[in-house]
Amino acid sequence: MYTLLSGFYKYLVQKDEYCVLILGLDNAGKTTYLEAAKTKFTKNYTGTHPSKITTTVGLNIGKIDVAGIRLNFWDLGGQSELQSLWDKYYEESHAIIYIIDSSDRDRIDDSKEIFDKMIASQSLQGIPLLVLANKQDIPECMGVREVKPIFNRNTHLIGKRDCMVMPISALTGEGIDEGIRWLVDCIKRNSYLRPPINLEET
Amino acid sequence: MGVLFSYFKSLIGTREMRILILGLDGAGKTTILYRLQVGEVVTTIPTIGFNVEQVTYKNLKFQVWDLGGQTSIRPYWRCYYSNTDAIIYVVDSADKERIGISKDELVPMLREEELADAILVVLANKQDIPGCMSLKEVHQALGLDALKNRTFQIFKTSAIKGEGLDNAMEWLANALKNRK
Repeated sequence: MYTLLSGFYKYLVQKDEYCVLILGLDNAGKTTYLEAAKTKFTKNYTGTHPSKITTTVGLNIGKIDVAGIRLNFWDLGGQSELQSLWDKYYEESHAIIYIIDSSDRDRIDDSKEIFDKMIASQSLQGIPLLVLANKQDIPECMGVREVKPIFNRNTHLIGKRDCMVMPISALTGEGIDEGIRWLVDCIKRNSYLRPPINLEET
Repeated sequence: MGVLFSYFKSLIGTREMRILILGLDGAGKTTILYRLQVGEVVTTIPTIGFNVEQVTYKNLKFQVWDLGGQTSIRPYWRCYYSNTDAIIYVVDSADKERIGISKDELVPMLREEELADAILVVLANKQDIPGCMSLKEVHQALGLDALKNRTFQIFKTSAIKGEGLDNAMEWLANALKNRK
């Protein structure tokens, strides 16, 4: 009887968990984005001040509860020597957020190249993809109109998966909400392909 | 009102953070401890037992435990695990032969329930030695890519020259402040 009741309680309380991988070149604003997302979706949470965020060499994690599910974020280091570590996380990711520094015109092609390499990976087939043109608060940055054509050039690699390019500013928090909500819908729709994990049961 | 309340709570809640410095023997744990505390290189002998010091960094008080790293005393590390806020795991980046052993010590340690919430900082120490392993090599050799539910960061350090420790402590201080 106890097992039945506690099982029922767990069923009511437990949320489906999904993992979201945050990638992009170094200095694109991945950690700042993670902090901004956590601030937005967690009550009474004040994120690390952007001036205190340093280069990531390792992993930052974050959890947010949104629209009845839980998202676990993995924010990895973006320096070129660390990019080869990304694929260790692909198999377990339910969505990818790829962040671009829209103010860095010199490296936009590098970013695109790394992006192509990533989406070509077999283990990411069919996984929703949110591309964020970050740093929209900088006046001379590239807008979505400029970024979108660059990243949509290889439609054959993107294939049938959900893919969206959105403008954001991780610094001011603009656009973060819309992005996450779009992603949540995609993840839910995609859950037949990649079902949620339930950490408690393991 | 809520701001006021959380402010008072933060006043009451300032307890010392408990930090363990772990790693194989000869990795430089004691040198790092005293670098942090007095800012100098002290001559050390292999630690049998432990050294414990209070370190203040950016208004945060840390109680730092440096445990001996020799094979025979590594089993006793677990006696110190409870209530640990962070682990500083020190690796000798020039010691390619024993990095595997270092991994074998780290992996089961991170599975301990008592350390489930502890933040991990890996210091790839002895970066002043030519030919030592890079960050990526240390990352791979320690199998850190298997860590998926813990915040961690690796830093290049040279305890002898005092390089990299500030970055690491600054990151750790922020991560600890931010954790709750």
